[in-house]
Amino acid sequence: MKIPLSLSSSAMQAFSSPNRCTWCDGCGDYGIWSAAKRALVTLGLQPWQVLLCYDVGCHGNMSDKLGGYRFHGLHGRVIPLAAGAALANPKVPVIAFGGDGASFSEGVGHLVHAVRSNYRMTFVLHNNANYGLTTGQASALTWQGQTMNSSPNGIPEETLNSMDFIFSLRPTFVARGFSGNIPQLTEILQAAIQHRGFAFVDILQACPTYNRFATHEWLLAHCYDAHAEGHDPKDFEKARKVAVDTRERVATGILYQNEDIPAFHERLKPRQGVKTTPVEEVKIMDVSQWLKEFV
Amino acid sequence: MRLSLKIVGAQGQGVNSVGEMCAKGLKRSGYCVFGYREYMSLIKGGHSSYQLDVSAQPVRSSTTQVDVVVTFNHHGIGKNLRDLRKGGILLHQTPQWKFKRPEDQAYVTEQGIRVIELPTEAILQKLKAKPILGNVLITAVVWSLLGQKEEQLRELVREQFGHKKDLLELNFACISEGFAVKEQIASGLSLPLPQPDPTWKDHLLLTGSQAMGLGVIHAGCRLYAGYPMTPSSPLLTFIANMQNETGMVVKQAEDEITAAQMTVGAMHMGTRAVTATAGGGFDLMTETLSLTGITETPAVFIVAQRPGPGTALPTWTAQGDLLMAIGSGHGEFTRLVMAASDAQDAFDLLPEAFNYAEEYQIPVIVLTDKQLAEALFTQQPFDQARAKLKRGRLVTEPASLKKLRSSDRYDPAAPDGISPRWLPGSEAAVYCAQGDEHSGDGSDSEDAENACLQVEKRMKKGVALKAALPEPLFTGPKEPETLVVSWGSNRGVLQDVLESDELKGKNIGYLHFQYLWPLKTELFEALAAKARKIVLVECTYEGQFSSLLLRATGRAVSRKILKYDGRPFFYDELKMALLSALSS
Repeated sequence: MKIPLSLSSSAMQAFSSPNRCTWCDGCGDYGIWSAAKRALVTLGLQPWQVLLCYDVGCHGNMSDKLGGYRFHGLHGRVIPLAAGAALANPKVPVIAFGGDGASFSEGVGHLVHAVRSNYRMTFVLHNNANYGLTTGQASALTWQGQTMNSSPNGIPEETLNSMDFIFSLRPTFVARGFSGNIPQLTEILQAAIQHRGFAFVDILQACPTYNRFATHEWLLAHCYDAHAEGHDPKDFEKARKVAVDTRERVATGILYQNEDIPAFHERLKPRQGVKTTPVEEVKIMDVSQWLKEFV
Repeated sequence: MRLSLKIVGAQGQGVNSVGEMCAKGLKRSGYCVFGYREYMSLIKGGHSSYQLDVSAQPVRSSTTQVDVVVTFNHHGIGKNLRDLRKGGILLHQTPQWKFKRPEDQAYVTEQGIRVIELPTEAILQKLKAKPILGNVLITAVVWSLLGQKEEQLRELVREQFGHKKDLLELNFACISEGFAVKEQIASGLSLPLPQPDPTWKDHLLLTGSQAMGLGVIHAGCRLYAGYPMTPSSPLLTFIANMQNETGMVVKQAEDEITAAQMTVGAMHMGTRAVTATAGGGFDLMTETLSLTGITETPAVFIVAQRPGPGTALPTWTAQGDLLMAIGSGHGEFTRLVMAASDAQDAFDLLPEAFNYAEEYQIPVIVLTDKQLAEALFTQQPFDQARAKLKRGRLVTEPASLKKLRSSDRYDPAAPDGISPRWLPGSEAAVYCAQGDEHSGDGSDSEDAENACLQVEKRMKKGVALKAALPEPLFTGPKEPETLVVSWGSNRGVLQDVLESDELKGKNIGYLHFQYLWPLKTELFEALAAKARKIVLVECTYEGQFSSLLLRATGRAVSRKILKYDGRPFFYDELKMALLSALSS
């Protein structure tokens, strides 16, 4: 898939915001912001046709820097918020953005069940391996031993292997991108938004202020495009191996995708054959037909 | 005149099924029935009971003293003997039972209690029937004691087992044996039921949870997300069991936070969604509640109360979450707290809850409790034409949508603080539902002046809401000497007590609050100004509602009738308490 380099400026403009970005110079959020905008425009979506949901963290400050209907909710809770929205109206693409702090500590239970439930939504993980907005504390994905704000002696806990964790949940879409590779990220996001169920997009990003281990340069040196090396995203076991093993190099691209698994709302018996969405069904419902059993 | 019947036994023995069968049969014979369940927080073996209070007049409460105790096991003989009033009947099925404690035997003699042994095991053996059929046998004996016709019971059993012919024959055999054996073991004994009133026959017999579930469906709610927690679970079960009929999206979530967030996400998208939980689960939801305060997302939370703190008495009733509901969630924002009292209310208030949530773009908390959730009510069929769909300033027309600017969403100049709301997917200017303090279009703003304007906008909605809320419900003389105030499920027992012979001539007014916050006080103040006594009836230790009245009016109640043992107020108990309050 080729990304058109010059997208229509009016389409791009529609997603622009008069609000100035407030991220640090060199923050990976800029790259994710650009790629998200490009992906939406490339898919031909207008701002009114999408719902973007944000967790709380540095990434959440994107909530008023990118067009679209948006909801900026609570720390750690963006996934169920977005899932509820997606269930209410499966016709509107729902994209949830969250950081590694919120998604692998406070809200990790939601992530587990979202993968398991396969809600039709995209989850974009802004993975800078620390809590940026609260000034650089360790997250579950910070490398073990790093000294961080509030961990002056280094983090005693083991680093959580996020990809091993995700693959153990039998996901239907797993991708990894790097905020420094906007064209690839745009492709990944386009595919994720069009995925049948829950799309997990892990985006490795620099945090120039607090992350001194997985820096932009480190990521540049270590990330490689798995597809260029012939990776087959249909092979679950190989995908898992490629995704989990980051000892020497970090595989990026769509690592796994399975469109044969129905999304949560498709599995609901009462919704089979229903043409309307729950949003369109709000009316006072006559329940007299169900009163007979109580007489 | 009422007759009370209490079925007791170990959980899982069939207490509920006998209770429900008797209730349905009696209602169809022309009686009003009120059913009350007690059970413990375990699945098998705990002592449980199902009490039916039956009358040809309205009955909405239980008495502490009953006419019949039917016990499945010998524990009930000892535990529930003293529940029987003078001349009552104890029907048991423990062969050769002898009272071991002399005081029990003395009680039986003094009170003239008739102890009847039903040889269940022998009869079932003779019929080659499984122990479960003992339920039908017991029901048949009770049915015969009540002077009811065999055919009515057959009809009920036919409805339940009609599709299984063998089972149906066995059930019929049990019924015949039950009627026959009654003549042997309790010849000439009968329970005096009053003349029936045929108007009850077409009434519904349902629990508060079922009524509330129907109210949720009636309100146009299309998504339910919940996490199991007594006493809210029966509502989840009812809605889930109805999903194939209603087409609703039902999600048993991984926790209460998820349930709350999902409903908020769904409401933001534009459907009607709800979650229900008990106090502990609601504690987990309150951050989400607070979020809806600032994003101005309509939301409805049902909180089924049980005693706290901690896990306390999970399967019993309480009203101790009132102040929690009013104070829940960090920060200051407008919310509505309402409480349902009976099956009618449970049905009627749900469309209202959604309407207020959408009209004012606020969270609404609907309080219920274990008593309402699980009691069985005889209820007039619900009026399907009364509820109206009110979605407030929701904009859906293409022409109106085109005129919207992003900054209209949270424009602090909106009349009454209520802005237009429009839904994702609508072709219009977009905005951010912003959990941070924000300007009109939902952009982050830490500007001091804007912060004040936005706080004021959100609080202003409460003023408009309070003005729009209905006055509390009043029954009684225009200028009562004694003013009783209460809320929630106490209403039924209060109605029964105030209509009793001992109290109906007295100069008592009863003000019942369905809407608890914001608190409408005009009627209360007018009545309180002339009343000599104000009596609060509440299932708490502190009398929480009196502190709200004091806060809103500066007026203290003169007497509190309180209960905090997990049990609801009983008819005879509350009557005594009120009489004593009147005379003091």
